[in-house]
Amino acid sequence: MSTQLRLDALRGSGVIAKPHNARTIAALTRNPGCTRRAVMDAAGVDKDKTAAATGHPASIGKLSPLAVARGQGFEARVKSQGGAELLRLLRENLGLPIPQAHYLDLGGDDDSVIGGRYLRSRSALAASADSGPDAGTLFDHPMLRLQIAGVWVYLEPDMVAFRLEDKFYIIEIKSFAIVDGVADPGDVTRAAIQSSVYVLALRNLLADAGHDPNLVADQVILVCPKDFSNQPTAHFVDVRKQLTVLRRQLARMADIDRLLDSLPDGVTFDLAPDAHGLPTRSAADLAHALRSVEARYAPECLSACELALFCRHDAHDAHSTAALGRTVREELGGVDCTSTAVALGTGTLVPTDDLVQAAETLRAAHALRTAILGQLA
Amino acid sequence: MADPLGIEELDQRISEVKTEIRKAVSAQDFAQASRLRTQLRALEAQWHGALELAESSVSGKPGNMQLPVRETVHQILTLLAVPAAPRTIVAVHAAFFAGELAGSQLTYLRRDEERSFRTAPHGRPYYLCSALTYDRLTAARGLIAVSSWPLHRRIVGTLSARVDYLRSAIKLAEHIDRTDRPSPAAQRLLWQVAAGIPNASASFGDARPASVIEAATAELSVHDDDDRVQREQAARRARKQLGDAEQLFGAPTLSAVRKAG
Repeated sequence: MSTQLRLDALRGSGVIAKPHNARTIAALTRNPGCTRRAVMDAAGVDKDKTAAATGHPASIGKLSPLAVARGQGFEARVKSQGGAELLRLLRENLGLPIPQAHYLDLGGDDDSVIGGRYLRSRSALAASADSGPDAGTLFDHPMLRLQIAGVWVYLEPDMVAFRLEDKFYIIEIKSFAIVDGVADPGDVTRAAIQSSVYVLALRNLLADAGHDPNLVADQVILVCPKDFSNQPTAHFVDVRKQLTVLRRQLARMADIDRLLDSLPDGVTFDLAPDAHGLPTRSAADLAHALRSVEARYAPECLSACELALFCRHDAHDAHSTAALGRTVREELGGVDCTSTAVALGTGTLVPTDDLVQAAETLRAAHALRTAILGQLA
Repeated sequence: MADPLGIEELDQRISEVKTEIRKAVSAQDFAQASRLRTQLRALEAQWHGALELAESSVSGKPGNMQLPVRETVHQILTLLAVPAAPRTIVAVHAAFFAGELAGSQLTYLRRDEERSFRTAPHGRPYYLCSALTYDRLTAARGLIAVSSWPLHRRIVGTLSARVDYLRSAIKLAEHIDRTDRPSPAAQRLLWQVAAGIPNASASFGDARPASVIEAATAELSVHDDDDRVQREQAARRARKQLGDAEQLFGAPTLSAVRKAG
């Protein structure tokens, strides 16, 4: 059976694959070891609906309308009037020469001509790469694409591709503040992961047009509000690490056959919806199908994956040490279950050779705990 | 009591209800279609009411001789002398004009102008129309222009956004220079514009019209020639390829062509 047919079977009959966007692609890199997520994303399963059908609905990626409005307002301000604010920042911070003030809006209002818009973006950026720096400076809303599990996914990023000398940079405009040169590390990481998706896609575009993909810098320019004002400020962010993770995860999804081979025969996440789109499949049956694919729950999943609550429930039921966080999981390498950890710590279980180190840590922790509780008592 | 719907919302609701009626008719659900028709009539009555209200609020306020939105926008565009986005128009209005102008009032302006032009071409002395992209000659997103300008001024090439920014900065500075006592809002606008031009303002929050004009003219001289070549070429092409209405409101996009076909 071909890969596509196997993925279609996983998704269920007549269900259209859920399209990816930069946010969902970025989320793929958050937990690269999770087979459940890799398989479901490759098949384009609607994880939101699946999670709801198992009785563990989550609200991931649903932004508050206020946050969205603030983000859009800031971006519109930075980009307005041919990117006047942006040009000022680039001139002041990066020494962009005055003659380079080209601004080309590659966006469109219409989704029905996505392929055509991709070609337009490609020819505009390729023309710029072909000629000198005078052939374009800012390219707003370029249409990009990436191959995810064998399917081309079009991305319409709210970003600007920027050319300085012979390098292209991604400019990502975000509405979280940079106060005294420091921003929230979580926000920066999320922005970096998302930008790395664009860097990779822009590299693909240039390669597609017969150019050296390394024309795209592995640093991105992050534009954020400065301090407590609405004035923009620009900083470089290195995304090499994120690019490596992203490439690895995409390669893993491209190699989805191997993961599919490990699944039991006949497993499907089909919700069998009725005429009103309501799932008719029982929650227990669906949960059984989900459990047949190995998951790797970590508390970080809660902010990145729609299925996180389902996986957390399972991890708690199984007394999994991974549910306590990545640090704990790494410290207790090889100890999968909390009851084993307690037994090792209290000395009721003799560790095998590979668990000696973990057992020592646990015994030390247990001794400390007893000592402290003894003092308190 | 809930606020009555605004005229734009009514527009949208009316077109939604019309779609529903069409669906009901094609599904042969005539009872539903008749219910929807009653609803449509009520909405249309509300629409006329809202329109009258809007008219009276523009012209009827005592001591406030405000122009209709169309005239106001025309005046602002004439002042700036370049195609401008609703955001810019609203900012200029706040700096120089009395009364209120909201961005939402400009939403349907260009569409209404196009409709008027297509029903009775050249019936008005001027139309608020589109700027055209230099490569595809389609309407440039979010820009409003005036039909009486030479066509090349309504073309948006790769440098035009910058050139137009500098041109409008010069125009604004000249206008403020002519004003006896410019309002704080006008001075703030001038400074905001000057902040985007190298060497235009001496210090934070302060910009003199003369230095803005000088700095903008200096940068303009760098871009102007390249920009003009691109614009004039495109304008020649537009005159050759497009009909009157398309020259004003843009060549049809690919999807519009598909729909028509």
